Amino acid sequence: MRFEELIDRHHDEIYAYLWRLLGNERCSDAMRSVEDLVQEVFLRAYENFHSVRPDSNHRAWLYKIATNCAFTALRQIRKRRKSFLQWMHSPVAAEPHPAVQTMRRQLRALVEQLPSKQKAGVTLRYLQDLDYAEIAAVLGCSEQTARANVSQALRRLRSALKEER
Amino acid sequence: MKKSHPSDHETVRRLRSAMGSPPACALVASRTRIRKWHADTAPLIRWGETKSPLGTLFVALSARGLCAVDFGRREADFLERLDPRARLEKDLGAAQPVIEQLLEYFARARTRFDLQVDLSLLTPFQREVLKAASRIAPGRVWTYQRVAEEIGRPECSRPVGQALARNPVPIVIPCHRVIASDGSLGGYSGGSGLTAKRWLLQLEGALS
Repeated sequence: MRFEELIDRHHDEIYAYLWRLLGNERCSDAMRSVEDLVQEVFLRAYENFHSVRPDSNHRAWLYKIATNCAFTALRQIRKRRKSFLQWMHSPVAAEPHPAVQTMRRQLRALVEQLPSKQKAGVTLRYLQDLDYAEIAAVLGCSEQTARANVSQALRRLRSALKEER
Repeated sequence: MKKSHPSDHETVRRLRSAMGSPPACALVASRTRIRKWHADTAPLIRWGETKSPLGTLFVALSARGLCAVDFGRREADFLERLDPRARLEKDLGAAQPVIEQLLEYFARARTRFDLQVDLSLLTPFQREVLKAASRIAPGRVWTYQRVAEEIGRPECSRPVGQALARNPVPIVIPCHRVIASDGSLGGYSGGSGLTAKRWLLQLEGALS
């Protein structure tokens, strides 16, 4: 695969992944910081592209770089910002009903509280549509551990949603 | 297989709805920025093709010089072997001086090439091997062992063979002039393999 193809095929999903992973850290200057992070991901990919075997899974490789960049960025942002609950009360895109808006905020806040690998796992599986082999490659773990991460995340979200009813 | 919890579907549905998607305008802006950055950063490789006695002949040039020669392959296979980070541009004008020299060689009107080659993607060992192979005169052959001795690594005849197999500019760097110690042709990674190697050695009068 050529680098140009990598951009054309995967830019949009990597952007969406980082946008989701950054979650409540997408504060006021959100778009800019996601865009910068996407640029960093492709820069790292470019620097290491020659070392990727042609028959390897370029998509999983790119997600791995994106996940590492996002985790680093989140650590840095959280160090700078004491409270990340701030975002919970910031406006999001217009919703049809305040109750729906509240539910979405609550769910996003729950996702934010997940351990980072569970958060990445559930996002990769259900929002980015990666299979478990790819998730394992991205998170640098076995397929079994990847399944466990996703399943634990889902269980936590499910029980938290039940409690809120 | 583990059965999913009945309310997992509902949780996933709500999760998808809550997490949302980035606005299309943000995606377009970022994609445009990344493409522009790549266009400004990545090296440009210009390439061309022509018919030759060995099938379609392809050549490619970077800013440093000739970076690829191949023949008897499909266009896609040739392009796949070029630096994957580079931008590719078909440019027959840029390729013409190289093509002319190669066609003169096929017509026995030229035995040496006056071309700058770009071996920057190779290791120092591979470059050293190819530099030694460049010194083999037309009509002569060396063994892999001889090349290994020429670079001062007599124990490395096998790695020499592997380095020659990665020659990005066959014919121009005449790796076809290297054969096995038992007099057999050894290997050849150019287009149609040993048939091409034999044909080139016959053209140069090294084989009858």
